[in-house]
Amino acid sequence: MKAVARAVPREEHFTSRLRSPAVAARIGLWLGICFTITFLTGLISHYAQNPTHPIPFPTSPPWGYRVTQGLHVTTGYACVPLLLVKLWSVFPKLFARPPRDRSELALHAAERASIGVLVAAAIFQLVSGIANAAQWYPWSTFSFRGTHYAVAWVAIGAVVVHIAVKLPVIRAALGADVDDTSQDRPSATRPGVLTRRGLLRTTWLSAGVAVLATAGASVPLLRRVSVFGVNSGEGPGGIPINKTARSAGVTTTATSASYTLSVSYGEREVSLTRADLEGLAQQTETLPISCVEGWSESGDWTGPRVRDLLALVGAPPGRDLLVVSLQEAGPFRSATLQAGYVDDDRTLLALGLDGEPLALDHGYPCRVIAPNRPGVLQTKWVSRLEVL
Amino acid sequence: MRSRLALGAVGTVAGVYGAFLLLSRQQPEDWVEVAIWFAVGVVVHDFVLAPLMLVAGVVMVRVLPAAARAPAVVGLVVLGSVTLLAVPVLGGFGVVPDNPTLFDRSYLAGWAVLAGVVLAGVLAAALARRSRASSTTEEPDGARPGR
Repeated sequence: MKAVARAVPREEHFTSRLRSPAVAARIGLWLGICFTITFLTGLISHYAQNPTHPIPFPTSPPWGYRVTQGLHVTTGYACVPLLLVKLWSVFPKLFARPPRDRSELALHAAERASIGVLVAAAIFQLVSGIANAAQWYPWSTFSFRGTHYAVAWVAIGAVVVHIAVKLPVIRAALGADVDDTSQDRPSATRPGVLTRRGLLRTTWLSAGVAVLATAGASVPLLRRVSVFGVNSGEGPGGIPINKTARSAGVTTTATSASYTLSVSYGEREVSLTRADLEGLAQQTETLPISCVEGWSESGDWTGPRVRDLLALVGAPPGRDLLVVSLQEAGPFRSATLQAGYVDDDRTLLALGLDGEPLALDHGYPCRVIAPNRPGVLQTKWVSRLEVL
Repeated sequence: MRSRLALGAVGTVAGVYGAFLLLSRQQPEDWVEVAIWFAVGVVVHDFVLAPLMLVAGVVMVRVLPAAARAPAVVGLVVLGSVTLLAVPVLGGFGVVPDNPTLFDRSYLAGWAVLAGVVLAGVLAAALARRSRASSTTEEPDGARPGR
């Protein structure tokens, strides 16, 4: 046992003066800002995906969700270098020995536990979020959305507790020069290869490179430099595809000559062929597909207004709409289009994109496109509209 | 002190709410898997990544001339952290064979370009530092804290 204790490094074995509260507090400040941004934009995204909206989700600006979700994912990428350097700067603390005094011991244990939760939750959020943005699901049972949402509360709670515990240290560190040594561990005196300012600038540079390397999936201007963007913005009609007709299992039904769209309100129901839909008054709206995985792309969609379709069965305004797809299974087989979207003039049942008939992979014969809405809910291959 | 206690209470409530969401909306097998992922993240960082950085530091001091060390650290932090966040696209783990519109970049080529830019920057900075150090030999590199 003693041999093991001797082999484990001690806090005082770490001598670099870069591992200092002056550095940790400055990176921690930005990490706290970034975690707050991801938390708030995450709440928006989670709410937008709820089937019921006690407070209607706004339909304007139409690019709102595009911005919040692009910001959510991009800020998450920027957190990777920030978190890594932050953890590096406080790494000696991992080896702090517990105090002998019993009363201090309880407090020490509580703080260590809160730090453990903070680090575990922070790493979990970044890893699961970045995997999800790349549509990679290396876990087997838990659902991404529910778990990422729940752990977000754990992470932000642990951040707030951490700030409360460290507030005097943070205040002193941020109030003094970056080279101030008054709060340093006694052993942290060896000059680093970099200066403290140099390390901070390196961290900001890394976060900046992380943003530039990924943000092109939602910011068209950056497309060429974003070498790790999840797509290049190419696809039929200039928009990438998340789920193809083949993987949704709808290739046969979507191209069938007997396809009809059913629109119903109570007892009243009409069936429309694709030709019938083309015969209705057509609108063209420029609206983005804003994927929950962060990428987005704007397109010119053409088709009848959903409102006009519902007028065919005499549905009053202010009602939610159940949109059902030709897909036979899967979580996005159907979605609720809330009344705010249904009543919006810009909400279309799109038949075409960019002047061409809708590609099969974009939802042919028809798909829903509404302003300011997560892409995953913009149901493709629509077979039924049912007023609720 | 009172404001810190209030802040701590707010954070605790938020964290407990998250734990409640985890427990109430998921099945026991999900809890186990989430717990495993929690632990794996910490273990990989604390016992793999962080010690690797310590080793990298020792190796760097032995191998690299003084003028190249600071640029090398900058390059390692930039390239290392950005490579880490690109692992899912570099590995192509989310690629669906019938969908050519996603993950449609050559990510390895992109990584090579990024690595080339970083390496060029490191080399240029190292050479600039060496020529500066040889013109002012009385100042050993890195020995001036607070610069």
